[in-house]
Amino acid sequence: MKALVLGLGWVTPGGWGRGGGDAGFGLGHGELPALTRRDLFADPFPRFGRLDAFSRLGLAAVALALGDAGLDNWDAKRPIGLVAASRFGCLATDLDFFGPMAPGGDRLVSPNLFAYTVPNTVLGEAAIRFGLTGPGYVLSAGGAAPFAPLETALEILAAGEAETILAGCCDLPPAGAPAGAGAIFLVLGTAAEGSKAGAQLRLAPQLQVDGRPVADWPQLVAACRRPGRG
Amino acid sequence: MKQVVISAVAAVTGLGNTLEQSWGRLLAGESAIASVRHFACDGYPTDRAACVPDLERPPGQSRLEPLLERLLAQLPAVPGDCRLLTASTKGPIDLLEDRLRGAVVDHAALLLETLPRQVAARCGLVDPGVNIGAACASATIALGRAGGLIAAGRCSAVLVVCADLVSEFVFSGFSALQGLSAEPCRPFDARRCGLSLGEGGAALLLLDAARARREGWPVLARLLGWGAANDANHITAPARDGCGLVGAVEQALARAGLAADAVAAISAHGTGTLYNDAMEMAAFERLFSERPVPFNSLKGALGHSLGAAGGIEAAVACRCLEQGVLPPTAGCEQPDPAARGMVGAFPQPFAGEVLLSSNSGFGGINGALLLGRGGER
Repeated sequence: MKALVLGLGWVTPGGWGRGGGDAGFGLGHGELPALTRRDLFADPFPRFGRLDAFSRLGLAAVALALGDAGLDNWDAKRPIGLVAASRFGCLATDLDFFGPMAPGGDRLVSPNLFAYTVPNTVLGEAAIRFGLTGPGYVLSAGGAAPFAPLETALEILAAGEAETILAGCCDLPPAGAPAGAGAIFLVLGTAAEGSKAGAQLRLAPQLQVDGRPVADWPQLVAACRRPGRG
Repeated sequence: MKQVVISAVAAVTGLGNTLEQSWGRLLAGESAIASVRHFACDGYPTDRAACVPDLERPPGQSRLEPLLERLLAQLPAVPGDCRLLTASTKGPIDLLEDRLRGAVVDHAALLLETLPRQVAARCGLVDPGVNIGAACASATIALGRAGGLIAAGRCSAVLVVCADLVSEFVFSGFSALQGLSAEPCRPFDARRCGLSLGEGGAALLLLDAARARREGWPVLARLLGWGAANDANHITAPARDGCGLVGAVEQALARAGLAADAVAAISAHGTGTLYNDAMEMAAFERLFSERPVPFNSLKGALGHSLGAAGGIEAAVACRCLEQGVLPPTAGCEQPDPAARGMVGAFPQPFAGEVLLSSNSGFGGINGALLLGRGGER
């Protein structure tokens, strides 16, 4: 199974950017960069500031990836799919939502925040913002399968269930959890033989980029980058 | 492409600890929606939900654990090389409630990845599995994903296990959204005014048809087609024209190589909310035009079990196909004018080989399955 990498975008403690730029990429336990909607969207998009932090993080990386692929502007909805892996999902939002029910709390939970207590809401926000009508879901597989969303996306493309798909991971652990935060998404398209449009991702059986095995996200990003394109 | 069959099913619902028990009571028009006993409902518009009876919570554990044990104990030994997909929206959510009320609960115990890990260990599977989160369409999409893996030859067996609980977390959320019905919900009824929550789980073993034949597994039903689509409209409200559901069903029909005329009956999502049910009726009208296709909802009997709903409904659909009848839609005594003649609080016999089962969820996601009658061993 194979696909072309049409674009990539990320928000990590080591930097945020697109595959066509030269921004840093670094997963880890540091602080995430403080992005505003003006960093990501050309038009006023006040809704961005009202999202929960998990959805803001994921939507930012999706926006960067689609921008890198030249797919961020649209007139008609498009059958682009979305698959994300997340260990912690919306757990931080869950804790915020149910906090008022703790002893001494006012028991007034937020109806707005409740909508963000399913992990796929971040994909729904991306679907609404960018008109994406393909299949979309969140995978929770633990840390042992870092490329699970890419494998799933390749299977979806191979099965003809979508021609273009965003795949990546998004994690925002709650305070005190021993894990790092960050999000990265790749835009993958059906690979035409001999195409020079982007790096070629292949599962055979381990993940390869342009014929070279990659073992983790930093290696994958390094192999897929095309500085100067964006 | 390989053919996909369903060879084992199990379900635990508010109406029974086995699919057989639930099926009998569904056909009789019973409802499990009653007063919740495991948390106080003071301050909420209702105290009603469809809970699994006598689901005792072991100290320090989630109620999900006895639910899973009750469910998985019914399954025959599944092949050890099965891929594993689970479907749950909130997993062990009662542990999060405990944590916020002062109990010592590690973050790791709250993660959805614990569900596939527990099922894999209980069933002796090599694959540690993955949970699929797509809100209330989670199980439907997991079943479609399982079908895709088998059809493409990526594996020859997939176990899909889904489960969700009635929790104060979710109860308070739907209450805040003003989505809970004060009385037991009335799917597709003209007077419907909200949903009733439910809990339960289902397990379905899907096999490559050739493997099922070779190993002597029964064919309870065939998974003919599947689809998933987002309506890209609103986070909690469906597109009124049903475009996402229509897209998912059209994908399923295309994969199955069937025309809409082939669909003999529909197991609808039917939550009992004004907008969901209207969306579904609009989608069915677009898909099936003037042809009245009988449909039902199990939510008036079993409540809305969130990510597990589609799996429970698919398990029940296997019985519907076997016996050629849709169970009553409990609570639907005055069908919405747009659905009159197609749904009601009575069993609906149908003639035909193909049943559509669909679900929709927060985030705009929709999932659809086309199930065919089984019967051979």
